[in-house]
Amino acid sequence: MDTIPDTSSYMTAGFIVTFVTMGIYVLSLYIRNQNLKRDVDTLESLQAEKPKSKK
Amino acid sequence: MVTNKQPVTRNASPSLLKATFAIVRKDLAAELRSFELISAMLVFSLLVIIIFNFALELDVKVRQSVTAGVLWTTFAFAGTLGLNRSMSTEKDRGCMDGLLLAPVDRSAIYFGKAISNLAFMLIVEAIVLPVYSILYNVNLFRLDLIGVILLGSIGYTAVGTLLSAMSVQTRTREVLLPILLFPVAIPVLLASVKASGSLLAGAEFSEILTPLNILIVYDIVFISVAFMLFDHVVEE
Amino acid sequence: MQPKPTALKILDVVSIIVLAISTYLALFFAPTELVMGQVQRVFYFHIGTAWVGLLGFVLAAVSGVIYLVTKDMKWDRFEVAAVEVSTMFFFLTIVLGSIWARPAWNTWWTWDPRLTTAAVTELIYIAYFMLRQGIDDPEKRARFGAVYTLLGGISAPITFMVIRLFRSIHPVVVGAANANQDKLSMTGDMKIAFFFALFAFTIIFIDLIWHRVRLSGLEEKVEQLKLKVSM
Repeated sequence: MDTIPDTSSYMTAGFIVTFVTMGIYVLSLYIRNQNLKRDVDTLESLQAEKPKSKK
Repeated sequence: MVTNKQPVTRNASPSLLKATFAIVRKDLAAELRSFELISAMLVFSLLVIIIFNFALELDVKVRQSVTAGVLWTTFAFAGTLGLNRSMSTEKDRGCMDGLLLAPVDRSAIYFGKAISNLAFMLIVEAIVLPVYSILYNVNLFRLDLIGVILLGSIGYTAVGTLLSAMSVQTRTREVLLPILLFPVAIPVLLASVKASGSLLAGAEFSEILTPLNILIVYDIVFISVAFMLFDHVVEE
Repeated sequence: MQPKPTALKILDVVSIIVLAISTYLALFFAPTELVMGQVQRVFYFHIGTAWVGLLGFVLAAVSGVIYLVTKDMKWDRFEVAAVEVSTMFFFLTIVLGSIWARPAWNTWWTWDPRLTTAAVTELIYIAYFMLRQGIDDPEKRARFGAVYTLLGGISAPITFMVIRLFRSIHPVVVGAANANQDKLSMTGDMKIAFFFALFAFTIIFIDLIWHRVRLSGLEEKVEQLKLKVSM
């Protein structure tokens, strides 16, 4: 084969997919982390309130 | 304490066989009284074959190449139906707890359930095969084909029994079993289809040797693995 | 939750740097492949993700066994992390392979042993998460998860072997011959990009797993707090 076939659009698509997927995964880790932290805060404040309300 | 425990462990191995067959006998006796499971599996299998008949236009030419595939798809689907039902009756009626409380080795429960599941599957296959033979005018009653079906069914129920014990304990229950079972059972289904297809096409024995070896290896590996893991699945 | 350890912070930065370098190497440093053209540059990431996907699968099965023996929840956390990160990477492997296959073999998909096994493995991963989702008791969830990763870990290589053995009877599109040619005709610069991609994805893999394990720790804390509060 003398001429190199032009497949750069496939290449671009490949790299975009890679970065987007990894980005989404990292984002999902971040969001889950934030949600859990909020849960911990809420639950801890609930726990702190509980003994008071009982008394 | 130690001296007290010694005889129990020594007795465990001879009673394993007895306990296993007690469970098999129990399952078969319950089944013979109602025919719930077998009739459901059987009717389901026949319906699947009828659907395949129209979906694939099973004329003489097509039939030759797809018979093995149709048969194994039918067996696999009917198999999950039976596996699900046999485990969920144990679970629902609280029989599983009874079995777990019984002073028998846990592996006896696994082997007992696996053998009775295998028996149900074989009974259904034994009825489906002649029906298929009559409907499509192919002779499926060949010793070598029956051997392949036996090997394939053993591997399928060995994994299926373990996974159904797991899936009945989840929230999604029946829905989950095929999802868990099919990806793990792909090797055994592939090898079975391959071996049965070659046999029906009249291939030499040497050609069937590879899938046959795979079936045997799969059976041995998965029976031993499932038997070792079963303890962790029913533990309460 | 403990504050983020310094080592993890450093690893985060290193991951981003190696990913950038690996991208540079794949896009600009490595020469253009003569037969397939630019799309071959995807190959470095394809191999990198496949390697960590496989590594994660093996690690998950191993930590499943260790969990069943020790019953220590930390192995369960590690197992979940390994499976989840591998699921993501294996998905990338399959998509990149597809993108590569389209111009190279003129088809998005071939039932080649590697591709098929990758797809089956991905399905096992998904089944694993569905199984875990249906169980409320964390201890039982861990036990069942470990059993299933172990079954999957044994079955996947057999699937690969089976498809490969039957390929001689069932011919597939070019496949193996082509890929071997690539490997043989790799020039020095290509090799640098290739090995650096393997290294880079290993670092990223470790980094992501670490984060995921910490997330599981947090999940566990929330579950315990919920129990405490509801009591």
